Amino acid sequence: MSHVDDGTLHAYLDGELSPPEAQGVAGHLTQCPGCRGRLEEERAVITRATKLLGRAAPPDRELPPFRPGDVKPLARLWWKTRLPLAWAATVALALGIGMYLGGPSGTHRVPAADDLPNAAPARATAAAKPREPRADAAMKARRETVAALSMRDEIAAAPEGKRAAAKPAAPSISGTVSLGDGRYVLKGPSVSVDSARLLLDADPLEVPDLPIRGIYRARLRGYSAVVVVEQALDSSTVIEVISGRRAPIALEAAVATGAGVERVDTPSAGARALLGRNADVPAAVAPTQDVPPPSPLPRKARRPAADLFLDIRGPLSVDSLAALRRLLQPLRP
Amino acid sequence: MPQDLADVYRTTYRALVRFLYRKVWDAERAEDLAQEAFARALVHKPTNARGWLFIVAANMARDEARRAARERRHLTLLTAESQETVPPSDEALHAENEWAQVRTALERLTPRDREALLLWDSGLSYDEIAAQTGLALGAVGTTLGRARRRLVEAYEAGTKGEHVARG
Repeated sequence: MSHVDDGTLHAYLDGELSPPEAQGVAGHLTQCPGCRGRLEEERAVITRATKLLGRAAPPDRELPPFRPGDVKPLARLWWKTRLPLAWAATVALALGIGMYLGGPSGTHRVPAADDLPNAAPARATAAAKPREPRADAAMKARRETVAALSMRDEIAAAPEGKRAAAKPAAPSISGTVSLGDGRYVLKGPSVSVDSARLLLDADPLEVPDLPIRGIYRARLRGYSAVVVVEQALDSSTVIEVISGRRAPIALEAAVATGAGVERVDTPSAGARALLGRNADVPAAVAPTQDVPPPSPLPRKARRPAADLFLDIRGPLSVDSLAALRRLLQPLRP
Repeated sequence: MPQDLADVYRTTYRALVRFLYRKVWDAERAEDLAQEAFARALVHKPTNARGWLFIVAANMARDEARRAARERRHLTLLTAESQETVPPSDEALHAENEWAQVRTALERLTPRDREALLLWDSGLSYDEIAAQTGLALGAVGTTLGRARRRLVEAYEAGTKGEHVARG
């Protein structure tokens, strides 16, 4: 056998030669001191290279559970849950209003229509007798919603728990914006700048000089008007600036203080679940941890800026988001 | 997940992360990409899942590098403001230094040599490397031999250069 070339030596050392080939090489090596010397050189190269590569290896972590939900299934989940969630929102609103407005006599005052654009069908539901088909539908929607909400919480919690603080951005579900504390802003239809301004009674906030991809009306408990401004940081990164005006009387506050004392047991377990995890814990509802408005106060804002709730979300680190937050300015025509 | 893909996940996930890590140089990101590759495999159901995964991962890493380059331009401005880190220990500095030198040495290799070496180091066989890179099976050993030698040389040149620079 002729001398062994370097490639064959590497294949031999890597154990990648077929048994007859390997025997041939081994046979030659016993007779050829030159090739034996090269074999040892190449062996040293392999050892050294492997060692170097080991210094640039990822940390050895346990095999995480497979998370197929990170890609497309999330979007599907959202489409499945959108309808029940919308139902839930209206039913929750109606229940809350029923408890707030309905005195012990059980009379219902009719709230102004423009305050509650989505409450009309649900009001009927809340007032209806349990056996009526409408109420059955509501019960069904409620069950589905409770299931959907707990599923969503799992999704929100699972990756967070696994990766601790390394991943600041909470997983987002298409059509919602996570506020990172378990609350989600439900994004609604696209609106014009003027409508957004009317809704908020103030200028919505934006990061100056970034292209605006869209302005959406949104909903969040405790806020009478919420506007989400989507801005493109680059072609693949979108941030969402959320401006909201607090409801004159927060619904939860009304449930907890006004009606709660004398009818502790009034909301059924299901209704409490619907009203959100926070329904039992009024203290947690008080929105104390909201991000304060940026230091340069919106000059043109017609309302005191303290009324405006602000947050900014996007697939960026906490620091980057904080830096963006400092740049926020009122959106001018 | 079908049983066979579940097996591939168990046997190949770490290898895929290792492979991706040397491309994106961020462990979290490498894990995310590996997860995404498996999620895509779930949809596409490739016959040779293992080989398919590495091809998809290589493509994703390339896209990622392009995206990262674009993003860097935007984010330099933002990250510049938030430097409140604790000074690292000497040991950590040393490890980081070595890490960076291996990375630099790897990046000096030709794309084909690097690819073969990273695939081998992630546990692929010569057959699999040949299928993945388009090399002839007989050329894999030669390519790996050259890649290893150049990696060692580039690394040593790098450390020497540094000693000279330090004076």
